[in-house]
Amino acid sequence: MKNLPETIRMACTYVFLVLMAFLSLFPFVWMMIGATNTNTDVTKGKISFGSAFFDNFAKLSELFDVGQIFLNSAKIAIVGSFFTLLISSMAGYGFEIFRSALRERVYQALLLSMMVPFAALMIPLFTLLATADVLDTHMAVILPAVASAYIIFYFRQSTKAFPSELRDAARVDGLKEWQIFLFVYVPVMRSTYAAAFIIVFMTAWNNFLWPLIVLQSNELKTITLAISSLGSSYSPDFGVIMVATVLATLPTLLVFFAMQRQFVQGMLGSVK
Amino acid sequence: MADVKLTDIRKSFGPVDVIKGVDLDITAGEFVVFVGPSGCGKSTLLRMIAGLEDITSGELRIGGEVMNDIDPSKRGIAMVFQSYALYPHMTVRENMSFALKYAKVPKDEIDRQVNSASKILGLESLMERKPKALSGGQRQRVAIGRSIVRQPKVFLFDEPLSNLDAELRVHMRIEIARLHRELGTTIVYVTHDQVEAMTLADKIVVLRAGIIEQVGAPLELYDNPANTFVAGFIGSPRMNFFDGRVKACDGSRCHVELPAFDNAVVAIPLKGSMPAVGSDVSLGVRPEHFHDDGEGLLSLTIDMLEHLGGETFAYARSATGAMVVIETKHGRDLQSGQQFDARFRTDAALLFDKAGKRIY
Repeated sequence: MKNLPETIRMACTYVFLVLMAFLSLFPFVWMMIGATNTNTDVTKGKISFGSAFFDNFAKLSELFDVGQIFLNSAKIAIVGSFFTLLISSMAGYGFEIFRSALRERVYQALLLSMMVPFAALMIPLFTLLATADVLDTHMAVILPAVASAYIIFYFRQSTKAFPSELRDAARVDGLKEWQIFLFVYVPVMRSTYAAAFIIVFMTAWNNFLWPLIVLQSNELKTITLAISSLGSSYSPDFGVIMVATVLATLPTLLVFFAMQRQFVQGMLGSVK
Repeated sequence: MADVKLTDIRKSFGPVDVIKGVDLDITAGEFVVFVGPSGCGKSTLLRMIAGLEDITSGELRIGGEVMNDIDPSKRGIAMVFQSYALYPHMTVRENMSFALKYAKVPKDEIDRQVNSASKILGLESLMERKPKALSGGQRQRVAIGRSIVRQPKVFLFDEPLSNLDAELRVHMRIEIARLHRELGTTIVYVTHDQVEAMTLADKIVVLRAGIIEQVGAPLELYDNPANTFVAGFIGSPRMNFFDGRVKACDGSRCHVELPAFDNAVVAIPLKGSMPAVGSDVSLGVRPEHFHDDGEGLLSLTIDMLEHLGGETFAYARSATGAMVVIETKHGRDLQSGQQFDARFRTDAALLFDKAGKRIY
């Protein structure tokens, strides 16, 4: 039988954990409840499920082409994630595998770039993309993110666990460097890719500020921009906003739950 | 099978020289083992033969052709790694056929070679498993199988048994010896385990700090080491070395005084030129050369006994603290702390000069 101080300590731990779980989950639950209630009910603070979900969805559909904005967000998130993973994993692999006198200095400079706030980069980036004549295209949203210092750092750290003997074995087996990367490194590091994909996909899907700056045409806008415009009207309809928010959250949730196991493996170290 | 010839091979990492000029001839079909302590350059030398490390200078020939700048896959070699290096996302069959697939070998031929290798190594029932579902010994067999299917001219083994437990290591050692007998291919094998070297090799290459100390057949190195390093490295437990001074020499014997053993004098038979009287020497005596009817006499106190059943290793010391290891069949009669006189066969003892070089 446990002694009293131990029981009290356990009780305090559980109370704290329950409180934290409630704080984490409440906004999500409130969003789900709000999506089923009218604007009036939401503003009154009603915290039980209502029956206005389909009305709210219909109103949202009147305001936006829901399919199109979903497609825009999905295109940016999926294409962006693909290229970010490709470019950043190649960079991380290169930084770890190939010896060079300048390697560490370049890498440190890259890490230092993570300390530059995005606000300081916005104007030069905007000017750069304007010069390249890609403003108001999805390319303008995707391009600045494909070489992510954080993801390069993440891949380099993960590559430290990639057995160098596998690369040697592949070289003896006659594979070229690109084949080693594609047919040995990528499959072996799939957990790392899964974890990085979740991070990159969520960042791209939830990205708001940069698409707001570079996308002007309505038909190119993403779901985050749509939600923002719903909130900035003279009399916002919170029921509609909640429906849009639920819809915006669903893909990231699906991606996370579908790849949760690989995500955890990737975070722990992918090579076992 | 092919011969391998290394001529003045050197390797430097920046200002650090790790291989300092190696000359070595390996004849076709020979089983050559590189041994040496950690950091001696044995794995680097093997990787240079494989083409996984660049050769800073010198010439490497495999089957008569210069291979310095040839791609690893085109050198006619196959390599087995310490950690097996099996592709974890592939089955045993895929692992074994991977190299042939990239060499664009026809599928029928791949199947034939993979099946043949799996039969030789007893892997038939494991072909559809992934490496994580295999034991250490099975993984090592797959790694060897992957090498066999490439039909190399030279097999390179980089400490292949280091990750296995003692029992499996003995088993795999026998398998590798059998494989060499059956295939007859040239094998270059790296190990730090001198028992592996002694049991497997046709020829042992002892390396230290990037240079070859001695090359020879296992028993030749054991019986006639060229210096104290080889004498100490080959043999387990290692050879005992006692500091001494030459007291006198007659026609065929050199009388050596041993200060650590109360200035006992032992007469060591020599065949070559005698060392100068008064010069410092080192006397080497292997543990098994202590024998009741030996001529050399040392007074010792037993520190510890290791009973191995058939024989016993007695760890003893002299009055001045010099350590001696003795192998005896009569270990059951001995006790820790016991004082006794140990005799060794002076005809089997070796003499080395101050620099560690053998005096014959």
